[in-house]
Amino acid sequence: MAENCSEQERRPIDYTSQMTMEDPLWWLSRIANKLRTVWLARTYPFVSFGKRTWTRYSLHVTRSGARYISIGEGVGFSRDVVLDVCAGPDTHSPVLILEDGCGLQRRVVISARNRIHIMRNAIFGPSVLMIDHGGDVEGRADSAVCGPQAGGGTIRIEEECWIGFGATIVCKHGDLVIGRHSVVGANSVVTRSIPPYSVVSGDPARIVKQYDFSKGKWVLGCIRPLATAERKLPVVAASLLAES
Amino acid sequence: MHRSIHQTSAGFEDHEGFFSRILTKLYSLWVVATYPFAGKGRNLSLHYASEISRSLAPYFRLGNRVAIGKHTWFLSWSKLDIEGDREVKIVIEDDCRIGPRCTISAGNFIHFERDVVLESDVLVMDHSHAYEDVNTPISLQGTTPGGIIRIGEGCRIGRRAAILCSNKGEVVLGANCIVASGAVVTRSFPANSLLAGNPARAAQKSSPEGLRSISSGVSQLTPQISR
Repeated sequence: MAENCSEQERRPIDYTSQMTMEDPLWWLSRIANKLRTVWLARTYPFVSFGKRTWTRYSLHVTRSGARYISIGEGVGFSRDVVLDVCAGPDTHSPVLILEDGCGLQRRVVISARNRIHIMRNAIFGPSVLMIDHGGDVEGRADSAVCGPQAGGGTIRIEEECWIGFGATIVCKHGDLVIGRHSVVGANSVVTRSIPPYSVVSGDPARIVKQYDFSKGKWVLGCIRPLATAERKLPVVAASLLAES
Repeated sequence: MHRSIHQTSAGFEDHEGFFSRILTKLYSLWVVATYPFAGKGRNLSLHYASEISRSLAPYFRLGNRVAIGKHTWFLSWSKLDIEGDREVKIVIEDDCRIGPRCTISAGNFIHFERDVVLESDVLVMDHSHAYEDVNTPISLQGTTPGGIIRIGEGCRIGRRAAILCSNKGEVVLGANCIVASGAVVTRSFPANSLLAGNPARAAQKSSPEGLRSISSGVSQLTPQISR
């Protein structure tokens, strides 16, 4: 997935063959998708729900979670996407933000408790898992706890990223940022921030390749290293400090 | 080993399973009767929620007794600019079983030889997104030219493995390879290898008999692969 092909020719993706609905059976699912999209956009309390956003009937999203989801224009959801969002009663800003032109492939699971921000034109391969909270060291499952009490951190996927098949992005502490135009390889596990214009793969994810602006090409190896694991105070403790 | 899988998944013990079997049968008949495949065998079982597009069916050749699981998605990029381009891009030979939620994306050529088993969530892709132009979003950059993937006779691909060939060239797995779950295979391996890891390495090389005993153990763990 992370090999070079700059000198080789590229083929434009031909979506027209996908768009043809030549099998009459396909109209059933197409109508179900359309109805589900209209129903979601009209009746669910999304922070925003952009035009040309296309969901599938199997999109998993709850009405209570929709109050914390902001979806931009032209976002594509493939089937069986799970948006598992819940937030504490004091939360007023969206917890999950999908900006314009994002694409979520099949079976992407996004589990947001604090904040997951996906910026413009980021694309996700199938079976990606993104989770911004996790059980603590004692193994206490806190996924049922909503809001900042859940611990964990925030995730930001910057513009034009490509998250490959089956990648897992977990942020238990602090902020995890995947920099602009980065590529996360198949089945890699990301737990630390990734600098912009990098290709990472493996478990745990390591930098395979980065774009060298002085040379103007992609080079193997690491120019800008991964961020050292910075641990912030847990959100609850930080807010207590701010109060005192 | 194959018979054991079919027997365990063919039980009529549950009404829900019974209805899905009827739907699967009807859908298989519909697809086989109306889709213009390049070649098709007998006793195909295509789950009613699997996705094969009719316009791409001329690029497929399916053997006898091929079973395709739920939500498995086949796609292939047709070269519409070439008139009468009808080269076969996906060949699935006899007795292959493709589990649920697999993604098989052929830009050039993907060949499953006889008795290949894909467990669930496997990705087989012979091209990938191009990302080299840093000024254009990756979603608009199209695909790399990619290569050819050939999976040998009797291979087993574990759950959530990925077999990728993004560059020009070939990825060939020899006969009776076993790919562990979660592995990412990006290069060729000889026959009878046991592959694991990201990127995949040959964990051990064993006699075909030894691997066959492992693989039959795996089949007992995942009896409902064809449903």
